Amino acid sequence: MTQQVTLNIDGALIRAAKGTSVLDAALDFGICIPHLCHVSNIEDIGSCRLCIVENIVNGRSKITTSCTLLVQDDMMILSNTDKIRRLRHNIAELLVSEAPNSRAMQDIALRCGVEETRYSFRNNDCILCGRCVRACTGEFGVKPLGFVGRGKDRRVEAPFNLRSKLCNECGRCIDLCPMVMPACDGPMETGKERLCGNCESKLSDTDLTLGYCVGCYFGEGIQCQRSPINV
Amino acid sequence: MTKINTVNDLENLRNKILEDREKFRATLVICGGTGCQASRAGGVIDEIKKELDNHGLNESVCLRTTGCHGFCEQGPLIVIEPDNLFYCHVTPDDVHEIITKTILNNEIVERLLYTDPVSGNLIKTESEIPFYKAQDRQILTQNRQVDPCSIEDYIAIGGYTALGKTLFEMSPESVVQEIMDSELRGRGGGGFPTGLKWAECREAPGDEKYVICNADEGDPGAYMDRCVLEGNPHLVLEGMLIGAWAIGASQGHIYVRNEYPLAVDNIRVAVQQARESGLLGDGILGSKFSFDVEISRGGGAFVCGESTALMASLEGKVGEPKPKDVHTVIDGLWHKPTTLNNVETWANVPAIMKNGSSAFAAKGSKGSKGTKILALTGCIKNTGLVEVEMGTPIKNIVFDIGGGANNEKPVKAVQTGGPSGGCLPVEKFDLPVDFDELYDAGSMIGSGGMVVMDEETCMVDVAKYFLTFLQDESCGKCVPCRIGVSRMLEIVTDITEGRGKLEQINLLEELGDTLSHTALCGLGKTAANPVLSTLRYFREEYEIHIEEKKCPAGVCQELITYAIDPESCTFCGLCKKACPHNAITGEKKQAHEIDLGLCIKCGICRSECKFESIIIN
Ligand SMILES: Cc1cc2nc3c(=O)[nH]c(=O)nc-3n(C[C@H](O)[C@H](O)[C@H](O)COP(=O)(O)O)c2cc1C
Ligand code: FES
Repeated sequence: MTQQVTLNIDGALIRAAKGTSVLDAALDFGICIPHLCHVSNIEDIGSCRLCIVENIVNGRSKITTSCTLLVQDDMMILSNTDKIRRLRHNIAELLVSEAPNSRAMQDIALRCGVEETRYSFRNNDCILCGRCVRACTGEFGVKPLGFVGRGKDRRVEAPFNLRSKLCNECGRCIDLCPMVMPACDGPMETGKERLCGNCESKLSDTDLTLGYCVGCYFGEGIQCQRSPINV
Repeated sequence: MTKINTVNDLENLRNKILEDREKFRATLVICGGTGCQASRAGGVIDEIKKELDNHGLNESVCLRTTGCHGFCEQGPLIVIEPDNLFYCHVTPDDVHEIITKTILNNEIVERLLYTDPVSGNLIKTESEIPFYKAQDRQILTQNRQVDPCSIEDYIAIGGYTALGKTLFEMSPESVVQEIMDSELRGRGGGGFPTGLKWAECREAPGDEKYVICNADEGDPGAYMDRCVLEGNPHLVLEGMLIGAWAIGASQGHIYVRNEYPLAVDNIRVAVQQARESGLLGDGILGSKFSFDVEISRGGGAFVCGESTALMASLEGKVGEPKPKDVHTVIDGLWHKPTTLNNVETWANVPAIMKNGSSAFAAKGSKGSKGTKILALTGCIKNTGLVEVEMGTPIKNIVFDIGGGANNEKPVKAVQTGGPSGGCLPVEKFDLPVDFDELYDAGSMIGSGGMVVMDEETCMVDVAKYFLTFLQDESCGKCVPCRIGVSRMLEIVTDITEGRGKLEQINLLEELGDTLSHTALCGLGKTAANPVLSTLRYFREEYEIHIEEKKCPAGVCQELITYAIDPESCTFCGLCKKACPHNAITGEKKQAHEIDLGLCIKCGICRSECKFESIIIN
């Protein structure tokens, strides 16, 4: 049997198997920490930074991403403090202003309290969460998808920008892409950096029970793997 | 090369080398560092060889080509031992005179002496030059004493004796303890206590461990690691050997950027020599200790200096940082316990072992011991590589070593620590070079870059420069760094181009705070420092840019216009001829005018004008 540890997340004592990430432990328990790049059963890289939590070590708070932090006995995790909410809000604001017409980004942003961004909109098709790159296996374990370029030139590409023969057309990359949902037609205009009300309408439930999963649907496919039925 | 099998062999070899050298009555030390090579030291060296041959002096005069002496702007440099006569700006044509006059007749060639720009006096020896006098050159002195490609030179000055001492007189634990007691802190930027790092790595489970030397040095303007590796590679090797023995590692890596070809060459030669003499390999100096070093060349990405990115790069993967929830001293290169230290950190180790931790800790300030090498550049009279005791006030460095402002414009600020550091105003020049004090002031020592700025530097433009650098060098993996930095740059660009809004200043601060808390690696965490520190000390410059749409320093092109001052203009027509866009009109002896519609604000007219008649509004 795998070893179990007990940790404290937002006041709840949670048992989890050693080797699990704090994010997975929280999600399993029903504490829905916002996340984007995390996909269950795929190696986490901690790139979106939405899943940040405060890890209290010797009375000092350290901010880290919960998807890359492994559970340990007697850990003290706070996922929903004012500080975390403020930082997460700012990250979500950065994210959604890159792809304001994406429903997934809007959902995330609204959940994190962003209704308006202070940046001009850039209508990117890809927000570089890297889900596709990490999910891609390809033939013989050779990945036909990868990141190319550095910094602002970073992009996802197949070798030489050609569909590789090694692609086994499993479609995982498309399934996991947060950008493939039909685009939201509301908020794309630069100069009106407001998110449309469509996704916002779902926000009221969570505002009342911050941090706890109430089976709110809008994580579907992108955030929570918990469907409302088995909550 | 003779094999050195025991500590005795080493001692005998050293005595023999020293004995052989007694025949030399003078030594011509010529700097062959990258800086001096750029000013054609190569030609001087060839000429010296020829002249020594011609005069049959090969048996009595020693020629030593060394690494960087630090005073690159005066290069090529020659120091003539034993009197330490100092000649600068030497050309191949001067060599004949140096040999015939100075070497053969003990006469001084006055034309080649250094003139102190502050007092105007001619100065004969290196130690009397203010630039050197105000320094405390513990590590850099050796650069002058050794030819980097000669292990004999290094052995002659007592090289590898510290290794002998550690291997046979100390246990690994006591070596770690000695480093802890010395309170040595990492010179690579973070200032992490080296002893603590070694202890954790030593105690980490696993029989295979690694030591790595970080010679990636990507900060713009910084070149101390290059000079140490280039000028004294055996010192770094000896430090790594001692560290490896203390930690229990048998394999080391040197990660050096490929843009440092001379450093790559010299460390290669050094490793080869050390292998041939048995100082690398199995059973070093007859002990049970085995160690070897591999040299890896980095492609020159700034982010590859970050520990996890560097290790990924060494493993042949993309050089991107990873979350460090488990430290690299436990899970590092190939998932093995790994100790990564900076070039200068390693270079400090042999002296600590030789002279004891207390001698090292006697120098420096409360929390920062020893000396630090800094790359001093900018608007000052003397620029170059300087080494000072930790705790030295910034003003001593800028005004004593640097000689103060290099024109009538007063010094306004100093930028320390490169893209992760910040700008400190003149009022803060009493601050010491100390890890904690500079950090509290919103800057940091970083790897040791120090750029002095005068009134003609626009602080908003400085912030923009570093943001541009960071945007290019960010790996792009995490959101706060990739998007946050580009948004900050967007805002700062707006400010420098007259589109800024006052509330954006707060947004910059908030974004900076977000970055420092949430970015994945040190690059993103510190990326906002240039902006935050300029906002802290030069907020009014941002406000003037935004409210008055003016650039007080006259740098931001969108906010300035050029005009001709009719009072001082002599109508010589130079500016008119120089203007690439024919924006200047006016006949000879008649008033000249700039057509602002055509002017691209390149500033060429201003640098051409001999009467300072081109003014910036
Ligand atoms: C973006 C970034 C770039 C860095 N570049 C360098 C570098 O060029 N050289 C270096 O020694 N350390 C660099 N560092 C620091 C290293 O991560 C590491 O802390 C250091 O090499 C450890 O050695 P030390 O303890 O001897 O300082 C960099 C860190 C970051 C975050
Ligand atoms: S960083 Fe943890 S889910 Fe993206």
